[in-house]
Amino acid sequence: MSVLQRLAESCGIPGAVASVRGVAAAVAATVAMTLLAACGETGDAAKPSAPAGAAPAPRAVRLQLNWMPEPEFGGIYAAQQDGLFAREGLAVEVIAGSAGTPTAQMTASGQVEFGIVGGDQVLTLREKGGDLVGLFAIFRTSPMGVMVRADAPWTSLKELWASDATVAMEAGLPFVRYLNQRYPGGKVRIVPTGTGLAAFEQGTVQAQQCFISAEPVQMELKGIPVRVFSLAEGGYDPYTVTVATGAAFLAKDRDACAAFVRALREGWSRYLAEPAKYNPAIAKLNPGMTLAAMDVAARKQHDLVAPPGTGANEVGMMERARWEALARQLVELGTLKAVPPVIDDVFWNAP
Amino acid sequence: MSGMRAPTTARAPSRAPSRTRAALAAAVPPFAVIVACILAWQGAVWVFRPGEYLLPSPMQVAEEAWDSRATLARAAWLTGLGAAGGFAIAACAGVIAGSVLAASRFLMRGLYPIATLLQMVPLVAIAPLLVVWCGYGWRTSVASAAIVSVFPVLASTLDGMRGTDRGLVELFGTLRAGRVQRWWKLELPWALPSIVTGLRVAAGLSVIGAIVGEFVGAFAGDASPVGIVILSALRENRTELVFAAVLTAAVVGFALFGLVSALGWVALRRWHASGG
Repeated sequence: MSVLQRLAESCGIPGAVASVRGVAAAVAATVAMTLLAACGETGDAAKPSAPAGAAPAPRAVRLQLNWMPEPEFGGIYAAQQDGLFAREGLAVEVIAGSAGTPTAQMTASGQVEFGIVGGDQVLTLREKGGDLVGLFAIFRTSPMGVMVRADAPWTSLKELWASDATVAMEAGLPFVRYLNQRYPGGKVRIVPTGTGLAAFEQGTVQAQQCFISAEPVQMELKGIPVRVFSLAEGGYDPYTVTVATGAAFLAKDRDACAAFVRALREGWSRYLAEPAKYNPAIAKLNPGMTLAAMDVAARKQHDLVAPPGTGANEVGMMERARWEALARQLVELGTLKAVPPVIDDVFWNAP
Repeated sequence: MSGMRAPTTARAPSRAPSRTRAALAAAVPPFAVIVACILAWQGAVWVFRPGEYLLPSPMQVAEEAWDSRATLARAAWLTGLGAAGGFAIAACAGVIAGSVLAASRFLMRGLYPIATLLQMVPLVAIAPLLVVWCGYGWRTSVASAAIVSVFPVLASTLDGMRGTDRGLVELFGTLRAGRVQRWWKLELPWALPSIVTGLRVAAGLSVIGAIVGEFVGAFAGDASPVGIVILSALRENRTELVFAAVLTAAVVGFALFGLVSALGWVALRRWHASGG
């Protein structure tokens, strides 16, 4: 950790440096990917060849996260920790991300086999020629929300949007358009999230986008009580954290994709049952989030990942109607030109 | 009088083509390089077909730039203001600090290494702190632009002043010129070509600084600066708009660079080769 990162964190802005670097990295990565793609590099993972008679070597694949290791990826780490990927004949390299990591482009271009993307990104990138396919929706209910301090005067998103509050949100997220469209004439001032939580703690921003199971937990552990307005309850409920792959890879190696999803399902079932077993290993990979915060986050996200009544085989499953609804919403918001003619091409529920 | 006018009138036609030729000679090479780059870019898109989301064609970027011209014009204006504000602060602070350091060997040895920190510290690392210190809005962009562009001005001022002809310094001493007089009438003019070079470098850097500041501290909305346009376009997979916004930033940088170069030319043209 650099001196500056320590300085930033001592000022209460964990992740801020990573966040800004993430933007620079996103631009750099986009350029790098462009060059690689132009040179014909597809980035296929090495397929180690086994000598005759020997057991086949595991299929090496990479999974690019779009954020740092946190409980939102708990099932992935559980699958890795318990050897579930290996049991399926896969050697999975999980690559941590940060704000701005262009996972959608990396996955669509074949730089990695699997990536964590937003459901909206699957649809918008497909329209630009990047054929992504959703394989596994980690959250059945979107964990996205807007948090305010517990003593803030607003009781709903509508009231917040009508105020002149400063709200920290990632520019370009469809739900910002959604809120602007739903509550027209809003006076809120949108600023980037580059300072992490420091500006919210300071009071410079009065509301901040969040994952219900992440930032509010960190605030409460710091003794700052908050309230969260859920975007899903507000009418915008996409598959926010989706494991996706490129259509070309799915067509070429459907068995590997199915094996990957089976391991994920089992990994998530185990993580949901016993998060405390897996969180210490995740915490080691992300010193910015305490183990206590991870344990609380895991509890809070449980019902968002697997609502009561969800069977073990249903974790991560996606519904056609949800994808259609999201596509229609994005068209209304002007983010998408048209609903895909064949919505079934957008996602694949592995058997 | 008419006898004196005749040669002037006679020379005029020959001077005009010469100026035209000089202007063409200056404009053709960069124009040719730009055209060659665009053709190579378009050719790469035709041959490799990387996908619009990875590398849009120049035509797609041009179309997007046209469709988003109002957004980009507002962005250019806002980013230009931030960069110009930061540049102005950096120019004043750099010249003053460079002059102070040049005046004292003790100060220079003590403070110059610290001043170099301004160049060493990665701006992206301290940008979030600027928001904490300066708040959201233009102040962060201006501060960021100033920080990143002050060092070239300081260094060029210092180098220019330290290179002042020793004989002239002694002459000013003999004539009992005061410290301020010597600075104003000898050292500053002597350092001016070097300062102008530093200012040119700083002009381009100030746009980069302003955009980094915008990444963390600018307001998004109907009128967003270039940094926010880039962030939004990246998230929305509008790669062609990212390219258009980056080109817009380049145009802002060129405009500032051109303005500084023009001012430098005005200041130097009568007495220094670099202003000719």
